Amino acid sequence: MAFQFEPSVIIETLPMLGRGLVWTLKIATGGLGLGFALGAVAGMMKLSRSWIVRKLAGTYVEIVRGTPMLVQAMFLYFGVPMALGLRISPLVAGILIIAVNSGAYIAEIVRGAVQSINVGQMEAGRSIGLTHGQTMGYIIWPQAFRRMIPPLGNQFIISLKDTSLLMVIGVGELLRTGQEIVAVNFRAFEVYFTVGLVYLSMTMTIAFVLRRLENYLATRTTR
Amino acid sequence: MITIEKLHKSFGALKVLKGIDLHVSTGEVVCIIGPSGSGKSTVLRCINRLEEPTSGRVVVDGHDITDPATNINLVRTEAGMVFQQFNLFPHMSVLDNVTLGPIKVRKVPRSEAEEQGRKLLAKVGLADKASNFPEQLSGGQKQRVAIARALALNPKVILFDEPTSALDPELVGEVLEVMKKLAREGMTMVVVTHEMGFAKEVADRVIFVDQGVIQEEAAPHEFFANPKNPRLRDFLSKVFSHN
Repeated sequence: MAFQFEPSVIIETLPMLGRGLVWTLKIATGGLGLGFALGAVAGMMKLSRSWIVRKLAGTYVEIVRGTPMLVQAMFLYFGVPMALGLRISPLVAGILIIAVNSGAYIAEIVRGAVQSINVGQMEAGRSIGLTHGQTMGYIIWPQAFRRMIPPLGNQFIISLKDTSLLMVIGVGELLRTGQEIVAVNFRAFEVYFTVGLVYLSMTMTIAFVLRRLENYLATRTTR
Repeated sequence: MITIEKLHKSFGALKVLKGIDLHVSTGEVVCIIGPSGSGKSTVLRCINRLEEPTSGRVVVDGHDITDPATNINLVRTEAGMVFQQFNLFPHMSVLDNVTLGPIKVRKVPRSEAEEQGRKLLAKVGLADKASNFPEQLSGGQKQRVAIARALALNPKVILFDEPTSALDPELVGEVLEVMKKLAREGMTMVVVTHEMGFAKEVADRVIFVDQGVIQEEAAPHEFFANPKNPRLRDFLSKVFSHN
């Protein structure tokens, strides 16, 4: 039997993917929000004067970067609850996995951006009597944040796509929802094509928004 | 105002300062000159503890800054600093650069700080640049903003670290004019500089630092007309053969 492309399936599939899309968005925003906080803390720890604090953050980054996310996901969802004797919901597990994973990469982004700001800025801040923390907050971070935007956008896009891996722990996200639809209608070509389109529209939106933000911040200093 | 006793500073094995003794009185303008790498900027940076002295004592306005109990942030508001590379905050307007210290450190209300900030910008001849960003200014204008930023905290002394060394030659004059005005108003100033003309005209005392120690110290007329130290003589002859 020859394959016949059915465009109408795409139209039918789209609303059925809605539920999965909501899950994907929840996990991506929750995970990246938490991941950014985690990455900011770990990134600043990597700049600490204390050897032990630097080492702590460095170990976290090494472990996460050096193991596959699929392994992290299965370990966190199946392994850890077994050891601790508690169950976590797939949603919470999904958010945690994305947060821990993206946090490690974001830590490097934060460290690099903060380090790239000229030391003269810290000295100027301190010379007018600001504390180290105030100088970080008012002087260094606003400048560093601008430099973080392009690599952060990259990481946001990677993590959003990575949420699809969470189907292995039974999270009803976008790809798994697509898989369930295929199990019923056997239209793998149309359904996965549609799933891909939905991911693409989300990643393009992220890229667009961050580009706008970058431009906005750039024009503000040369008004 | 400033008393420095037996100040030593090493970076690892490199001994930069090998026992500096210096006293600066209120209202005095002291210029520090010397070849590059002589440690003259390091002396300045030890005064507000941007560099941690290795040993010795530095007392600023009665506060021993080498004492760990001293609140260094408070002392720094009394000793403003102007940098060679300006170090303005590029993400803030000129006025915000000037008012940040008063608002965040001195807790001055914003309206009051801005009024004061505009006065200071007028004083350095930049009243019309308040809402510009540093990127839009020339080097000389940037340095004048930096001076206004230092003045905004009403410091008792201002430390100038080669304030004109990064400027195009035609922009040096406007910065020196502002500094002369401050000197005439009685501001206590310690100036690390290569501008011999400024040192001659404005300084109460000129200090020659080389190899980590003060080699010569005199009133400007005596310093330039009758240098005693052979190193200073050599240095001056090299400087003036170019001018």
